[in-house]
Amino acid sequence: MWRYAKWTVWAVAAAIVAAFLHYVLPQNDVVRITNTYNRLTPIGDNAIFYGSPDAGSTLSSRAAAGAAGTETRDIRFIETIYPNGEVMIFRNEDTGWFWPPYFKWDSANLQAEATNAVSTAAAPEWYSVTHYGWRSVVFSIYPNAVSITRVDGPDARVFPWASVIILSLLAFVAFMIRRMWLQFRERMVDPALASVGDAYDRADARADAARGRLSRWLGTWRRPPPR
Amino acid sequence: MILELARLFVVAMVALTVVRLVVAVYARSVERERLEKAWDAGGIPGTREAFVRAGMEAYRKSLRRKLLWLVYILPMAVVLGTAYVANTQ
Repeated sequence: MWRYAKWTVWAVAAAIVAAFLHYVLPQNDVVRITNTYNRLTPIGDNAIFYGSPDAGSTLSSRAAAGAAGTETRDIRFIETIYPNGEVMIFRNEDTGWFWPPYFKWDSANLQAEATNAVSTAAAPEWYSVTHYGWRSVVFSIYPNAVSITRVDGPDARVFPWASVIILSLLAFVAFMIRRMWLQFRERMVDPALASVGDAYDRADARADAARGRLSRWLGTWRRPPPR
Repeated sequence: MILELARLFVVAMVALTVVRLVVAVYARSVERERLEKAWDAGGIPGTREAFVRAGMEAYRKSLRRKLLWLVYILPMAVVLGTAYVANTQ
């Protein structure tokens, strides 16, 4: 029973972490760009899937849409089509200084590049769009394009260097945190528990306790000399 | 823009200082354990305490300890590098 509860908690936690990484890490899609434009876009409950309000280069007028807690922003969009005919609409927003940490301020430049990259089905030009985020028609959210690069054709594969590097760093950090925790337990928690146990076993437990918790804890920083 | 930069800087400084402290405690603990094990292996004159104290004193001045400042330097370099790459074509 408890084992299932434990596994459920772990599974949910792993799913949340995976979803978070899937949202934030950059991905490359090979597409043909068909149109670029900007559009006044109402933002409400889905605000966390858009740039932070003060990220610049967006016209934001709170309460312009009437309902409380909504705002309307002028957001740049890039319409694209995959080689298999499915469509994808990217938004093109600054991320600013904070989150997600792409430090992107060149939305206007990117829009100019994307407009220049528009091609027709008759004479297609294929581009790899680096982006993060999700497309959901229900929540009206769009992945944010970060950069575009010309590729040879619809079958081009772009190796996700950035994701590989970031995931490696995260794995290293997790490994080091585990090492630190094990070191902390070996050097401080275990000796402290042992010394507390000894203290209670001894007949002069009361005198020992009078010495104070702090000094006893400090004493556990040093491993006792070998007997 | 400037305000946002200042906010990022303050938040990053606080977070990195915490990281720096934790890593410093860990590195010191590892060094002490290494010294203790070296003495326990035998063949070193003097008391265990004196050997460990001298070793920790040497560690305090070592290059390895100064490398802890990379905890501040590397993330800032990554931020600047990312900002540069993200905003050039």
